[in-house]
This record gives sequence, C-alpha cells and structure tokens, in this order.
Amino acid sequence: MEEEVYYELYGEHISLGELAVSTAISTVFAMLFFHIAPQIAQLTGVQPGGLSITLGAIGATVGFAISSLITRVKRVVAEV
Amino acid sequence: MDPITLVLVLALSALSTILYIFIGILPGTDETATMAPIALTLLLAGVDPLLVLAWFMASIAAFKMADSIPVALAGIPGGVMAVPQVPDALVAKERGLADTILRKGIAASVVGQVVALAVTLSLSYYIMPAGEWLRTADVVLGVRVARWFWLVLAGLIVLALTSRSKFVALVSIPSLALLIQGLRSVYGKPIFISLFLGITIGPMIFELLSMLHRDLRQAFTRRGMKEVKLVKIGRISLNPVKILSKDELAHSTLWSAVTSVLATVMSPVGLTILIGDLLREGSRDRTRGAVLAYTVRDAIKNATYVGGTLVPLLVIGVPTGPMSAGPAGPFFQKLESLGMTPRDYIVKNYDYVTIAAALLLATGISFLIAYPILVKYSRKITLAVFRRIPAEALYGLFIAIVLMLSYYDARVPGIFGTLVVSLISGALWKLGVSLGVLFMTLVAAPTLVSLLSALPL
Repeated sequence: MEEEVYYELYGEHISLGELAVSTAISTVFAMLFFHIAPQIAQLTGVQPGGLSITLGAIGATVGFAISSLITRVKRVVAEV
Repeated sequence: MDPITLVLVLALSALSTILYIFIGILPGTDETATMAPIALTLLLAGVDPLLVLAWFMASIAAFKMADSIPVALAGIPGGVMAVPQVPDALVAKERGLADTILRKGIAASVVGQVVALAVTLSLSYYIMPAGEWLRTADVVLGVRVARWFWLVLAGLIVLALTSRSKFVALVSIPSLALLIQGLRSVYGKPIFISLFLGITIGPMIFELLSMLHRDLRQAFTRRGMKEVKLVKIGRISLNPVKILSKDELAHSTLWSAVTSVLATVMSPVGLTILIGDLLREGSRDRTRGAVLAYTVRDAIKNATYVGGTLVPLLVIGVPTGPMSAGPAGPFFQKLESLGMTPRDYIVKNYDYVTIAAALLLATGISFLIAYPILVKYSRKITLAVFRRIPAEALYGLFIAIVLMLSYYDARVPGIFGTLVVSLISGALWKLGVSLGVLFMTLVAAPTLVSLLSALPL
C-alpha cells in the first residue's frame, strides 16, 4: 500500500487539507464569538473591547478542541 | 500587594504553567508565535498588565523547562530555543544518558531563571536613573530622536551582522521600515498589532504558501507518518541539589548572570549557541562536554528570556533587543484601553517591591508546579502529547488568534496588512535574516524613516 503524502512544517508532518479545515473551524468560532461579544457586553454592562478579545480567544480554543477530535495525529511513537 | 492581586498572580501563573508545559513539549511551537499572541490577547482583554507580566514570567519558566524534554527523549526540539541542544542530546543519548540530560536540563532551567531574576531585578533597581536619560530626545537633522533609538540602532546593526545573511539583513532594515511606515500611513493610524503579528507568523505563512507552489512543494513533501523514537528513562530524584555537579552549577550560575544582562540587546538563541558551543569545545571529553553544554544551554534559555524582558521593561521603557521587541513586544506598545503602554502602566501603578514580588511569586509557583510534574511524568506527558494533539489543530488555533487580533487592530485591511508583512518577513527569514532584526526594525521604523527622509541627499 502506498504511503500518504504529507508536508513538513516545523519538523511536523501535516496535511494541508486538514490544516485548512482546522484553521477555518478555529477562525469561524473566534470571529463568531468576537462579534457576539458586544451584545453580551450590552446585556452584562462590561467593556465590549476586552470582552470581544476574550470571547474570540475562547472561540478559537473551542475550534482547537473540535479540530483535535476530527484531525488525525501524524506521528508514530516507538518506545525504544 | 493586596490579597486579590496576590491570588490572581498565583492563579494566572499556575494556569500559564500548565498551558505552557504542553505547548513547550509540542514540537514546532515557536516561542514568539505562541507567547506573544496570548500575552497580547490578555492585555487587550483588559487583564491588569502586572498580572499579564506574571503570566508571562510563569510561561517562560514552564516553556523553557518543557521544550528540552522532547530533545532529551526523542531528539526533537520543543521550540526554537531548544534547537541548539539537539547535537548535545544526540551525543548523550549514544552513551545512554537520556535521563541524565533530562534531569540536568530541568534543574538548570530553575537555576537560570532564579539567577536571572536576582541579577536583573537588582541591577535594574540601581540603573533605573539611566532610563530617564535614555528617554530624553535630541534634535537630529530636524527630527526629535530619543537617545534609546541609538541603542536600538546599534543593536540592530550588530544583530544584522550576526545574521546568516549579513548583507540582506542590513539592506532589509530601511526597506522594512519603509514598508511598515507606508502601511501605517495607508491605515491613517500608528497600528502595531497586525504588523507585529505579521512578523511573528512570517516563517510559518511563508512555508505554507511555498507548499502551494508547484515547484517549491517538492522540498516539503514527506511520505507517511512522522516516526518518533522515545527512549526509556529510569527513576529521577526530586531533589534538584543532587542533580547538578559543582561544575555544572557554577557554569549555569555564571553564564545565566552574564547572558541575562547581554540579552538586553543580544539574541537569546545566539547567546545559547555561543556559550554552549564554547563550553562543549572547551572540554576534552566529548560526552562530558555535550552534557555540560546541554545543561548550561537550558539555564541560558531561561536567563536570556527573563533578562531580555526585564531590563528594557524596568529600566529603559522601550524594547532594545530581540526578546523585548519579539515575545515580550506586547508590553511595550500603547494600548487604547490603557492610554499608555502596559510597561508604563506597571511602572506608574506599582512600586518596585510589588513588581519584584509578583515576578518572584510567578516564578516560584511555576517551578513548584512544573518541576515535580516534569521530573516525575515527563515521559508520560510527552507520549500523551505526541499521540493525541495533531499539529494541524494547534497551528490552526494560532492562525485563528492572529487573524482575530489583526481584524481587531485594523479590520479587514489589518488582515491583509498582516499577510503582506508575514510574506516579506518570512522571505527575509528564509534568506537568512534573523527575526530579531525584523522585530527591532518595527520598533525603530518611525524614527528611522523620519531620519532617512531628512537626509540632505
């Protein structure tokens, strides 16, 4: 069976397609959370600027968690 | 320090430590790309700058302790600063000394950070008056030039001359400065975040875009999974005093003190390579030299990150070296929410004892958490991280954070500004220009372009 083709980035083997999907998921969640922050700020009475960044970062982390579940790890660890 | 600040310092330091243990162990996590965006996010989110500084100090302690663990166990660096340790680790592993270098590296990190904190906090206290003099401006060619600019310019030229490609590095300084000021004039405001992030992720973006080019793609192509060989290790004592020999402790202490001050203007990775190589070559026994170099490099990694941040932050007030202009860059840029730079906010709102106490507490809590975890469970954590965290998800996370912050900075043009700067920065980095040159050019750009425009030529 022919081995799959990956690309090396910073010493890691990556799939460009999976990187694109992971980036898209994290970005969509980050921007979605970033844009709903002003509404939440209005409801709670906190500063929208800081909340936008906080929620955006949380959104990106949610995207990371989802991506981690749907992306295959491309390392084979052998214990010697 | 009031009790709430104390609790927040402890909580944020603990959180930062746990996060950066994992980031440090993961291969391919560049320090600037992972430390700066998170610190910037916290600052923009409205977290008190002193708390963010405590977070940052804990992240240095944990990251620099953890990034050499995959080097010792698998010969793979966990970050850019761990790359110089790879040849030493390979020699040590040939002799079956993987667990020796693992424990020595972790212990040396503690020594490096503690010595650097003691030296830079004491030194900064006594040379603080020099900061006022450096911030004074003189008129040169009709341009108001702060005296620290000459320090930055001298550092820039030295860094350029120590880059792999000296000529390209030298000519890139005025060229990149013009690009930066040009973008700022297009935006109509002195933006910083998107330009800074552009340099931060430049190498990654340039490599990724190169993979999309049919001819360049071949160089990156790999078949099959990445094979990682993880060596077995024995039981390691938790007592750090038993781990380092007198010789290793003396060298780690001496070079941590020296390099923490030199990192004010010099490159941390450059100092790690220079001192480690000198020690390795100076030893008659190849194995002993490699173990000594590996150990002292670990101490220097922490020391240069601490010193390179604190001396510019506490004394000068502007970034004067690759560390303060790079990973610690967010502390030196004016934030609209604060009306000043986080650095100025810290210095104006907290006395020196409180700042020092916060930094020492952050370091203490970080080592209290990271040291026993890494000594006892480094192999299990490395196995779990290597087997469960896909590189794509992590890179996707950082790219998403960069896109969001660029958008926050200058909306859609900010994203494209980041892309332009990342492409140019990535290309210059590929040509052999150190990222430190690019970060420091970003700091020097306004004055440099004003002086260039005022030249009577």
